[in-house]
Amino acid sequence: MRAIAQRLLRQVVLVPVVAVASYFLMASLPLTMETDAKRQVSRELAASYRRDLGIGEPLGFLRPWEKLFRGERLGTSAQGITGDELLTKLSGSVGVGLMALPLALTWALGFALLRTRWRKGQWAALGDVVPAVAFGTPVFIPALLLAPGVVERGHLLPELCAALVTSIWPGIFLGTLVGDSLEAELSRDYVRTALGKGLSRAAVLRRHVLPNVWPAMLDAVGPVATSLLAGSFAAERVLGLPYFGQLYVLAVLNKQVAVVVVATTTFATLLVVVSLAVEVLRYAVDPRSREASA
Amino acid sequence: MSRVPVRARVGLALLVGLGLLSLVAGRLFPEALASTCPLGMDPTRPDRTVCELAFGGLWVSLAVGLAAGALSTAIGLTVAAVARLSGGAVEQTLLRAVDAVFALPDVLVVMVLQLAGQSLSDAGAGGGLGPFGLMVVSLALVGWAGPARMFRNRLATLESQEYVAASRALGGGGLHLLRVHLWPALRPFALAVFLSRLPAAILTESTVSFFGIARMEPMSLGRYLGTSYAALIYEGGGRVVLPAWALLVLLVLGASLASQALSGAPRRAS
Repeated sequence: MRAIAQRLLRQVVLVPVVAVASYFLMASLPLTMETDAKRQVSRELAASYRRDLGIGEPLGFLRPWEKLFRGERLGTSAQGITGDELLTKLSGSVGVGLMALPLALTWALGFALLRTRWRKGQWAALGDVVPAVAFGTPVFIPALLLAPGVVERGHLLPELCAALVTSIWPGIFLGTLVGDSLEAELSRDYVRTALGKGLSRAAVLRRHVLPNVWPAMLDAVGPVATSLLAGSFAAERVLGLPYFGQLYVLAVLNKQVAVVVVATTTFATLLVVVSLAVEVLRYAVDPRSREASA
Repeated sequence: MSRVPVRARVGLALLVGLGLLSLVAGRLFPEALASTCPLGMDPTRPDRTVCELAFGGLWVSLAVGLAAGALSTAIGLTVAAVARLSGGAVEQTLLRAVDAVFALPDVLVVMVLQLAGQSLSDAGAGGGLGPFGLMVVSLALVGWAGPARMFRNRLATLESQEYVAASRALGGGGLHLLRVHLWPALRPFALAVFLSRLPAAILTESTVSFFGIARMEPMSLGRYLGTSYAALIYEGGGRVVLPAWALLVLLVLGASLASQALSGAPRRAS
């Protein structure tokens, strides 16, 4: 447990680092207008902007958070949103991500099992080609392929489609890792012994092999969670979902410093929570991690 | 050459072939493509054929991927070497910095860095970085953490080898160990890491360009795909998008094959 507590502390420390770094990065942007590039905004407007965001003040980086907790709009214009609205939009994106996660795990397990079967047959090349196609396909391409049916004709649930297209890349990525691990486990003596004693292949896989493969899968869940959430941004934009991804892209384009700072920090916090949940899950399912931390 | 695994050779051949193709078709003789392209003109850019845009985009994407991959690998290698040479608190601090970079999603940070760079350029303080340089620097700044962690772990493993311990016992300093014993053993792995960064950089650039934030000109594959989505949605424009998509997939296939084969290949002890 001590090891987990140490990791918890290390991860939690990252959140304020991300918050401060994103604030100073955004606050250092010169104030030019999109429509009138290279011409600086008026001195009064710039002063109001700097005052509103606490730029140049000793504890100015706390200003976005003060506005958030007071329930004020985070932007410097009517385009800004309140903390409640931010939370609603975030929950939409997290919902899409949560729908995508079981889909990704299904892809992963399916691909890992197929890859193990293909390894010795005439389909061996597919074990390399399928990941290449999945990795070489940015999320927006399958989203665009589905968009006419979803956006124009309203045939399918946009959220489900976003989850589906977002899950492909992470699913195949997980599948390649699990496939490698599965192959290593299947070549071990305990598998031959179990098969020799008359246990069916499915039973050996379920009872003996998969419990040893789960840790490899858990290792990759952190990066996969990032991919799921970042991927859902692209899918949301194409499929017209008004969630966190849309908000973030617009906030960056409109230089809404406070929105970007709070959104980036929220995102980092979410990833920290995911990685901690993975640590706890690993502790629960993997006896070796309990022995290591004992 | 015989020690290089077959899969790595196939992957490298694919990458070199695509590079040569993009150089010949996209840069040296684009007029040949303009007159012979069987896919016709691009609906959003009626003055250019689909082939010109796809192969021109391949050239730009490949250049961005190679430059960003090389820079992030070099930064990662430097950070890992400094961490291992220094040890103690410096190493722990650098590892925490790596964790901090990992806590940020690539695409979002590149978006913010692009905007910051473009604003600085507009205000005349961009340091002479054009869209290409800005994209390469942005991708390298978010992409060094993975290589740094991989190199640091590999260096730690190599340092536990007996020949390194022997050299250290004979008075070899940190830099001597790194230059004479560790680097030769690390070289194939460094190439594998570089090749693994290549598709990651290209795909991140594609997504940022698709969002309309990067101003890559001439267009990269990602920007081309991003600007052609109206054709894909409304005109059933597979002919417009599929060639660029196929080139992107082939690029990733080549880099993945080479990277996986090289990182798994047995290495000789130096």
